[in-house]
Amino acid sequence: MKRRTFLKTGAAATTAALLPSTLLAESTIVANRMRFPQPLIPEMDGDVKEFQLYIDIYQHEIVPAFKIHTLAFSDQVPGPEFRVNRGDKVRIKFKNKTELNHTIHWHGMHVPWRMDGVPYVTQMPVMAGQEFVYEFVAEPYGTHFYHCHWGTLLHMQSGMYGSFIIEDPDDPIKKKYPYEREYTLIYSAHDVNFIRRELNSMLERMKERMYLMKTGRFDKERFAVFNTKEEFQESVEDGYQPPYVVNRRAPSELAQPQWFTVNGKSYPSTPNLYIREGENIRVRLINAGGEEHYLHLHGHDFWLVCDDGLPVPQPWQMNTLRLSPGKTLDIIIEGKNRGIWTFHDHDTRRVTNNGLYPGGNLMALVYEDMPAEEAAVDMMARKMGLTALPMVALDE
Amino acid sequence: MARIVLKMFMSIAMLLGIVDFVQAQVNPEIQLGARGVMSFNVNNESGETTSAVNDFSDSGILTGFRQKLYNNYRGQLVIGFQFPDANSNLGQVFFHQVFVLIENKSDILKMGRSRVRSSLIEFPTLRDDDAIFLTDVLNPFSAGDDTEDNQYGNVLELTHIFGQRYWLTVHGERYRETPIPPAEETNFDLNGIGFSFQYIVPQTQTWNRELLKQVGVSFNNFLTDRPGDFNTFDRTLKNVIFSTILNIRPDPVHFWDLRHQTIYNSGFSEVATVSDYASMTRARNVATFTSLRYLYRKLERPAAQVALSFGYKTFPDLENSTSQYQLLANAFYRLGENFDAGFQFQYIAFNGDLQKLFGKNETRFQVGLVYSIDNVWNDQFDDRNSLLNLEHGYIP
Repeated sequence: MKRRTFLKTGAAATTAALLPSTLLAESTIVANRMRFPQPLIPEMDGDVKEFQLYIDIYQHEIVPAFKIHTLAFSDQVPGPEFRVNRGDKVRIKFKNKTELNHTIHWHGMHVPWRMDGVPYVTQMPVMAGQEFVYEFVAEPYGTHFYHCHWGTLLHMQSGMYGSFIIEDPDDPIKKKYPYEREYTLIYSAHDVNFIRRELNSMLERMKERMYLMKTGRFDKERFAVFNTKEEFQESVEDGYQPPYVVNRRAPSELAQPQWFTVNGKSYPSTPNLYIREGENIRVRLINAGGEEHYLHLHGHDFWLVCDDGLPVPQPWQMNTLRLSPGKTLDIIIEGKNRGIWTFHDHDTRRVTNNGLYPGGNLMALVYEDMPAEEAAVDMMARKMGLTALPMVALDE
Repeated sequence: MARIVLKMFMSIAMLLGIVDFVQAQVNPEIQLGARGVMSFNVNNESGETTSAVNDFSDSGILTGFRQKLYNNYRGQLVIGFQFPDANSNLGQVFFHQVFVLIENKSDILKMGRSRVRSSLIEFPTLRDDDAIFLTDVLNPFSAGDDTEDNQYGNVLELTHIFGQRYWLTVHGERYRETPIPPAEETNFDLNGIGFSFQYIVPQTQTWNRELLKQVGVSFNNFLTDRPGDFNTFDRTLKNVIFSTILNIRPDPVHFWDLRHQTIYNSGFSEVATVSDYASMTRARNVATFTSLRYLYRKLERPAAQVALSFGYKTFPDLENSTSQYQLLANAFYRLGENFDAGFQFQYIAFNGDLQKLFGKNETRFQVGLVYSIDNVWNDQFDDRNSLLNLEHGYIP
């Protein structure tokens, strides 16, 4: 081998070894697509888009080596993504496969009030084994979400949430910022000990209650369901102890989340946002949890284009935004600064797993067209035996 | 010899090394159980009446520390003490539980002082030992000064659980010898071995409303043939226990169950009279005890309980026809979560040789208060028998 050929071959081999190959590999990019909510495919019944959705108890892995029991829509956390056009007639057949009660609330959507999913206000809860059919016309345009409205504090952080996207063929955002790719990111926060304790407790209570219901022995005080406030007040005066008093069932503390997820996963299992130089991507941010998030993108500003699904009159340029519980915000990221950039909550308590940094909702914006030589690692990395920039680092 | 000394030195050095590297950041679950039983007693023993203004025996505290280990195992340390009966020669407090336990999904290894396998089920009595002559196999190494000799010992126990509900346990015990022979103070050899096989429906699945809650059989072999171990006869003393719990009416409001246990003690045919505690434990006998319990549950919590129990014991090989029977009735009313007011009546009659030891009969009235708690702090993982783990897949 000539010396020049040897040097060329050697250099190529070294470069290849030093590439962040796993991150930019086609297989990684394809696998990453599964880290976003998967679309639920409807069947057409005349002019109605009909969806089948169920709820069941499911074992969900938040990160490798850490699983919890969750409530999962159609065995997914978050639930599958609904994606319809504005004005579509939608029918969702919701089947309850658990022994718990549930409803579905269509957050931010203008559904008929009987379809709003608030138990004992708009409908009776969907009990064990029952099916409820939600029907409405998809309005308004934008990024919305759905979640259980029964035992909301527990059921939402147990996984009962998902995205509902109402598209418009004449999309105003797409006109202003042409884009081909978009991503849905659903944030949540979980007190896994609270989830475990309360799910167990609720399951035990429901076994008991279902038996009484079947034998026609509904008891207002036992079920804590009254016809009127006066009826409830009378019961209290007669010595009834509501569940919220500490001598009955109330815990002494509120839930304190230790796990912070994006699309049901914590770092290092969080999704990556892939982009190319010169490309615009749309990111739909949904906060289905109970904590505020202050999301900061390194190396870029982005445009805040929609708030609660509605296009804002004047897009706002920023690099950190506040995502409150129940909010949806849409942003446009312009591919202007090649590299691998972190995108994370700047309340760094939420970038932890069980109290240990790094973790939580830490994720990355990745330029998939980044030249290989830009990702070369240094001498120290090679001494550590790394072949690429380590995208998974679990300890400081 | 030098090699043995060196090996011992190395072992000690390694142990010290491990201790030096104890890391503080792993926080265990902390468990606290406590029970206070305060009663006013009136006794009539064969016509002679006595009373105790404040009997707090059997009150005690249990503390536990539990954490996850590597490879899906869990470890636990339990330390507990209780106030023994007056005149028990056990001092002010007795450490009845001091053990370490290691377990995974289907195996449990327990080492230390704990409840011995002298009975398979518990009965609804005010105190654990209220009917101990009928509910437990009696410790043949004891002088009978205290009931704790029959309940607690140094145990080595290995349990394997098949299919969630079938428990096979092999065990060895060092039963307490009382009075402690001076030469034996350092003797920790096993003096009892045995096994048991039980079908147990987990408490969390009570509302599955199955008729059979527990059925079990157990075999114990007291090693009474060893020199120094009360070896009057050069043979071991064997017994068999059969038990069952039937949910007669597993109703969430009006709950009824029936408990039964029979103990067959093979005894020694040479024992023709019972003149002391040792001969009573060595005479062939059959003891049965049955309880019928009604539990009223209000607001998904126990509110009141009434139980009626009857037991009978006979010694067929004795020259004098000898037997014992006991009637026990009690009622508890819940004053608040964990706090009960109770009343208990007992009548015990002795016939034949037992009259020489215990008199003709004994009547006892007790009125008291019972406060019991069982709490966990810093909880981190689920119990084997939680509904999530039993019915939705076990998470280690």
